[in-house]
Amino acid sequence: MALTLKQQLSSPGGILKFLVKYNTIFIFLLLVIFSALISDVFFTSVNLSNLLKQVSGIGIISIGMLIVILTGGIDLSVGSMVALLAVTFAILVNIFALPLAILFTIVLGFGLGSVSGYLVAYQKMAPFVATLALMTIARGMSFIYSKGSPVTFTTVGGQYMSNFANNSTLGIPNIAIVFFIIVIMAMVMLRYNVFGRLIIAIGSNEEASRLSGIKVNKYKFLVYAISGALAATAAIIVASRTNLGSPNMGMAWELDAIAAVVIGGASLNGGKGTAINTLMGVLILGLIGNILNLLNVPSYPQQVVKGAIIIFAVLLQRFESK
Amino acid sequence: MNNSEHEYRLEMAGISKSFGVVSVLKNVNLKVKSGEIHALLGENGAGKSTLIKILSGVHQKDSGSVVLDGQEITPKNTHEGQVLGINVVYQELSLVNDLSVAENIYLHKLGANKTWMNWKGLIRDAQELLDSLGFKIDASAKVKNLSIVQKQVVEIAKAISEDTKVLVLDEPTTVFDPNDVKKLFNILFKLKASGVSIIYISHHLDEIFTIADSVTVLRDGVDTGSMAVADTDKDGVIHLMIGRELKDLYPKRNIKIGQVPVFEVKNLTAKDTMVHDVSFDVKPGEVLGIAGLGGSGRTETAKLIFGADKKKSGILILNGKEIKTNSPVDAANHQIGFVSEDRKEEGVFLPLSIRRNISVTSFDSISSRLGFINVENEYKKVLGLIEKLNIKTPNSEVNVKNLSGGNQQKVALAKWLSIDSKVIFIDEPTRGVDVGAKIEIYNLINEVAKKGVGVVVISSDMPEIMGISDRILVMHEGTLYGELQKEQFSEENILRYSIGEPLKQHN
Repeated sequence: MALTLKQQLSSPGGILKFLVKYNTIFIFLLLVIFSALISDVFFTSVNLSNLLKQVSGIGIISIGMLIVILTGGIDLSVGSMVALLAVTFAILVNIFALPLAILFTIVLGFGLGSVSGYLVAYQKMAPFVATLALMTIARGMSFIYSKGSPVTFTTVGGQYMSNFANNSTLGIPNIAIVFFIIVIMAMVMLRYNVFGRLIIAIGSNEEASRLSGIKVNKYKFLVYAISGALAATAAIIVASRTNLGSPNMGMAWELDAIAAVVIGGASLNGGKGTAINTLMGVLILGLIGNILNLLNVPSYPQQVVKGAIIIFAVLLQRFESK
Repeated sequence: MNNSEHEYRLEMAGISKSFGVVSVLKNVNLKVKSGEIHALLGENGAGKSTLIKILSGVHQKDSGSVVLDGQEITPKNTHEGQVLGINVVYQELSLVNDLSVAENIYLHKLGANKTWMNWKGLIRDAQELLDSLGFKIDASAKVKNLSIVQKQVVEIAKAISEDTKVLVLDEPTTVFDPNDVKKLFNILFKLKASGVSIIYISHHLDEIFTIADSVTVLRDGVDTGSMAVADTDKDGVIHLMIGRELKDLYPKRNIKIGQVPVFEVKNLTAKDTMVHDVSFDVKPGEVLGIAGLGGSGRTETAKLIFGADKKKSGILILNGKEIKTNSPVDAANHQIGFVSEDRKEEGVFLPLSIRRNISVTSFDSISSRLGFINVENEYKKVLGLIEKLNIKTPNSEVNVKNLSGGNQQKVALAKWLSIDSKVIFIDEPTRGVDVGAKIEIYNLINEVAKKGVGVVVISSDMPEIMGISDRILVMHEGTLYGELQKEQFSEENILRYSIGEPLKQHN
């Protein structure tokens, strides 16, 4: 028997509480309105579809980051994984049929994530340390396999992927559709699936989870593996957009992903966070970049603004927990 | 001292407070004289903790006034409260584990006005204070190496280490044995003699009638009465607390106990704890009590059986078949339940809703093969349990951290009652739980036993364990020292076995 919207709004201070509760969505809407007012290019389909294309890759790894953070962990390796897996995909797509190349890349992502998962869940290594190591290893390997330069798609399969990644369906960029499908899957899994429920339980109290007979290690292992598989998906998308896999891809993306999850109200201690809010976090970060670009603000001040927004968003969430 | 001008040292008048739509305190009054021990009573969720937190500055009142020594005060945080002379020992310990005892006691003073600390002086002062309390605790020891009893003592020492005008103790004796309780009372009498006003919160009515001068009772956020202890008795107080008479605290159970044990333990020895050579069985429908002093290995035994601790040797037999429980997952698969004594750390998920807490153990029955949860069934199950356990909450989506201790305990129990266990271990089923909720929990235990489950209850509460058990095992130094049949139940017999003495032969 949740309170109805009307009840929420009419209780004392209701409107304020409502705003605070759904703060990420309001920040997002405010930014949209602000952007529309400040630039007449913003609401053009070209700009919006560019925006969506830009955020899709980071968006997908943010969902992986979210499920890791929900267990109270963190995955620093995803940015480097995107580079390694983009290079891998470019190599594979030039050798194998496209479906196989996609499958192998995702399996490899799952496998690499499993390494972090194994170290964290079964070797009790701190997530920060384990994934930091994987981050360095993956980046190094991406340079080794690509010999330091980008690997271009040369086959029909690569061409097909490139077309897919740069085209739209019903006005929505295909890669954004992939991102949205992943967001919806995550929403459903976190709300209605045992897997989601258990990782949230583990993040909110690991010992109580263990004593409830939950296979804590298995689920901690799985979230890193899934994060790896999502990094592979992101890698395929970003490589396909540019028709090549480069060892310089995904630079510092793990930090943007963490920022998106945090702006989305998740707690780094675990147990708190939703897919829809992470989506908002991703869009907010993307919007800031987009509008500052439209205003011709150079990239360094952009970073300052991004940082300020993170602080603002988290401060706002303080109200919520009170 | 200027308190002689005022009849009361502390006057809280017309205090109201609500959290969101939940009204927790309604026009509550509390008056305490100086040099008085004033008991604050009420069931869990009656508003005692909130009232105290308003006094100490953790929460801010919505209306009403707090007057200390004739001056209205409005502490904005606990520090301001401390400066005013209000110190609270909370139920939840708030010590810093990695610091020494002395540092913890003087934590609020560390770095206050000096650049350099006089560590030797600090430890010496702390040691003097601890010695004066009559407990043997090394002031230079790290807090994490202390027992829970010692931690509680440090917490108390911390609260009385400065100019305390009002000292609040929230359930200080839950972890104490009778001897420690006596020592604590001596401390309180000394403080009282020096003019400190003491507000004492406890569910143990015996304690209240031993030490308190006056009492205020809260029920559902309203004060239902305030009087001198001499003018009332237990029944009177209980009546004010729950609004009804208490006939029998330990409800009777008419169950045929099975002959064949549902669960047997043979020569169980732990790898990392002192538990060794533990052998016992429990029959279907039986409530088996495990008594013993704190630290005798009761909890460790349960955790060992449940697979939470590592075993060295021993055999577990469930329904005639040997089973292995190398982890809690194994134990849960064999339908063995375990309710921890430490509900906040090991029992419930504080930040999650009641629904999410309860359903965590029962996904097998409410989800499809692919793990998709049938939300309708989930609600049905959870709401059914909330009603059955009489968990006081507006709905199933309230976070467990917002519930009172007794209701949290019910949630922890509900988790295991929602699945069909064969054996269930309940460690301290009613620690920090009020009288009304206690009876409800005992009724639940009876109901579980009625279904043919073997129920093992670990408890330090002697009347409780004698009241609900069919048979009592007593642990001493890591192993079972003796077994008491119903006709042998007495506090003396339990105590004798607990300290490794034989029973007196007087039949």
